[in-house]
Amino acid sequence: MSDPDAPVVLIVEDEPDVAETYNLWLQDGYEVRVAQNGDEALDMLDEDVDVVLLDRMMPGLSGDEVLSRIRDSGYDCRVAMVTAVEPDFDILEMGFDSYLTKPIRSDQLHETVENLLERSTYDGLLQEYYSLVEKQATLEATKSSAELAESDEYEELTGRINELQDDLSQTLGGIEDDEDFIATLRGLGNGDEH
Amino acid sequence: MATNTDQTGTMYDLTNVLDIDALSSVRPGSTILISGPAMTGKEALAYDMLADGVTQNEGAVIVSTGDRASSVVADFSERVGQESFPLGVIDCVSDTSGGETTDSGVYMHHVSSPGDLTGIGIGITKALEGLHETGVENGRLALSSLSTMLTYTDRKTVFKFCHVLSSRLDGAGYLGLFTIDSGAHDDQTLQVIKQAFDGMIEIRERDGTRQARVVGLTSSPSDWQTLE
Repeated sequence: MSDPDAPVVLIVEDEPDVAETYNLWLQDGYEVRVAQNGDEALDMLDEDVDVVLLDRMMPGLSGDEVLSRIRDSGYDCRVAMVTAVEPDFDILEMGFDSYLTKPIRSDQLHETVENLLERSTYDGLLQEYYSLVEKQATLEATKSSAELAESDEYEELTGRINELQDDLSQTLGGIEDDEDFIATLRGLGNGDEH
Repeated sequence: MATNTDQTGTMYDLTNVLDIDALSSVRPGSTILISGPAMTGKEALAYDMLADGVTQNEGAVIVSTGDRASSVVADFSERVGQESFPLGVIDCVSDTSGGETTDSGVYMHHVSSPGDLTGIGIGITKALEGLHETGVENGRLALSSLSTMLTYTDRKTVFKFCHVLSSRLDGAGYLGLFTIDSGAHDDQTLQVIKQAFDGMIEIRERDGTRQARVVGLTSSPSDWQTLE
């Protein structure tokens, strides 16, 4: 795996065999880092990490503790909890972006990582959409409708806004899923500096 | 936002409450901003539209930033004129958080602040889920008010919240009605927030009477209509 633009996945798992299995499944499409415990995970975390797969039951720092330190660190990554028991909404309320129940199949793992990356794409698009809408509102407030009609900048802006609307409605299926909905909302509340 | 073209739900007819042509056939998944000065009945208009839906076997979800869920339920009961109705209420003024279902089957969810967008989202999700389980296929959601949310959270976050919630309502085939006090915000804020919606019901006062018009759902604004 030498593609420098490949998304980075950090696997946090204390059982080496399990970690290696995930690594084998993911290494063709992603840059994979493997940490054996919470402390190692926090050492390996940096702004390049896109997705963290976090085992909940580990010796030392628990998955919940690692999650809260990841959030405190300010790094904008998505965290999926890997658990032995099927959780419900509580998991989302706790601040995880998603969860996987053991044993995990290869296709489930890929699907979850892809979905979490798509959420990042959605957030990026929504951010861009907002800035353009704000720019449009400024132009509308400061120029007459005749001036707007002749403005290339305004025309371009309006076109781009329409494109982004389409892109947004196609990303994540336009947020039809409850988990995507809650996790996206939580992202809005997180300092919102991204 | 009503952007999916494969949606096949029944159109929403709001003309029982506000008799303007543009409201006779509103696409499922549409969101409408109800904008007007303070004390012009924006919230009452939204709630009446929800109550009207209930009489047509639709579900109702209310997000209230100012009133306790119990008083929202009491008020809604009077509007509907029925003892039981498919309703979920999310209030943002409670000391405790979490959900409960009343004896009459209303789901109430409590969030501690209008700035807790995740909590509001979880409440809406559970309310929609509860309605779905009782066999309700479509319905209307009212959020009152965005002005209160804007005092807790910045414009950018509220805009994004509206957009994401609109997308979720589109997925559910619901209609969304959101109120905003037009006198409480600068023009640019109103202009930006407006962009998160498919259309707008504007309310104004002229010579002591209230008037309403619909903008955005049809190619040109409707005429001003007197409200009773």
